[in-house]
Amino acid sequence: MTGRAAPRRSGAAAVVLMALRHPAERLLTLALRRVARRRPDVFERLGEAGDVTFIVAPSDLPVAFRLRPGGGSGDVQVIRAADETPRAARISGPLLTLLALFDGRCDADSAFFSRRIRIDGDTRAVVALHNTLEAAELTLADLLGVGPPFRDRLNAGLSGALNRLRPAEGL
Amino acid sequence: MGSIELVCPAGSPAMLRAAIEAGADSVYCGLRDDTNARNFPGLNFSPAELRDSVAWAHDHGAKVLLAVNTFARAGAGDRWRASVDAAAGTGVDAVIVADLGVLAHAREAHPGLRLHLSVQAAAGSPEAIDFYAEAYGVKRVVLPRVLSVEEIAALMREITVETEAFVFGGLCVMAEGRCALSSYVTGRSPNLSGVCSPPEAVTYTEEEGALVSRLGGLALDRYAPGEPAGYPTLCKGRFDVDGGLSYLFEDPVSLNAMSLLAALRRAGVTAVKVEGRQRGKAYVARVASAFRAAIDALDQGVDPAPFERLLSDLAEGGRETAGAYRKTWR
Repeated sequence: MTGRAAPRRSGAAAVVLMALRHPAERLLTLALRRVARRRPDVFERLGEAGDVTFIVAPSDLPVAFRLRPGGGSGDVQVIRAADETPRAARISGPLLTLLALFDGRCDADSAFFSRRIRIDGDTRAVVALHNTLEAAELTLADLLGVGPPFRDRLNAGLSGALNRLRPAEGL
Repeated sequence: MGSIELVCPAGSPAMLRAAIEAGADSVYCGLRDDTNARNFPGLNFSPAELRDSVAWAHDHGAKVLLAVNTFARAGAGDRWRASVDAAAGTGVDAVIVADLGVLAHAREAHPGLRLHLSVQAAAGSPEAIDFYAEAYGVKRVVLPRVLSVEEIAALMREITVETEAFVFGGLCVMAEGRCALSSYVTGRSPNLSGVCSPPEAVTYTEEEGALVSRLGGLALDRYAPGEPAGYPTLCKGRFDVDGGLSYLFEDPVSLNAMSLLAALRRAGVTAVKVEGRQRGKAYVARVASAFRAAIDALDQGVDPAPFERLLSDLAEGGRETAGAYRKTWR
């Protein structure tokens, strides 16, 4: 791949992903609101950080996710990775690392020490989000809003895939 | 010689279960306020969560120790007394306390409640430990992380209470319970507010390719691309003094004294402790599992050396130390 081809390919991928963003936004927003309904304890633990806007930016994707927990009326939006949209806190790193942090299989401090993840902005909100996810025991199926009877099967499949990819990502 | 007790941290009920399932004999935790030394947002237990977790732990043969280990502030003592009262009502196996007033309340209001002396009390002499044992009925002392193994062995010959020694995790450089570095910059310190370098005072920025950590606006360190990072604490800051750049107080390293387990057991230490309630399930599962295997190996007369390198990637700054346990400079 030449130096010019990579940005062009990334730019094309961003265009495609942004064109397809609405179903993803709807899916993720519904999943967030379902967690809010079923697990009010999660939002209680999140505290003031529930009103904060987070950007979760997979470093290997041309798009990022803007998360507004906002109690039961929160939402998730897909934005371009380079979009400097107003936010309180930003968390970035490889997608697999971020997913492993979400379901608690990866130690966040180690990922930070080894520079696999990066945070900027409101550190208090990021710490609150991390601690809340750690306590919540949410799974990858929760992230996609998938309930029974497919939940366990999906979690097993996604966990297996994540575990196979772990050595390559240093997880 | 009996087996050594493995005490692991829990910042949430999920982490408590992960620790016990991975082999912890006991788990220590705190309530969601400044009465414990890990008062971070989103961390710790509500009284209801504590009650349920104690029941779950007991069903699984493990103990729960509640840390009420910060120093009560004048005019706010009710909160510390309330935490002790809550602990007594949930059936915890012991309360870990540092403050004399809190110890006195626990002793008077709940004479059946087992008391452990927190590392924050920094009791490292036979006289100090005897005082706590006689005055408040303290049954176990968590040793300050400033003693060598030889000093612990000498201490154990002169005391009658149990001792607990930190063997893994974050390492404070200051005399236990007396660090005020964080307060100078943020107004909050671990001993009073339960938080060192409160996250609202911490920022990370990318500057000319380097990661710069700041506390209260003061730069603590500048990490080159790919260089392992540490916690944003003043004691681990890298400062330019007289043209020389160095870690003035302590390098960003983590404690790992697994290689000293046998020596600590010979010295008479009852329990070994893992730091890190603010970490998470993955951390505690790996650390508890490795130390469980090492302790079991010791019990069977097998060399635990193969387990010593299993945890290096969890260390702050990517480096480990045996800390004061091996004082080669003395």
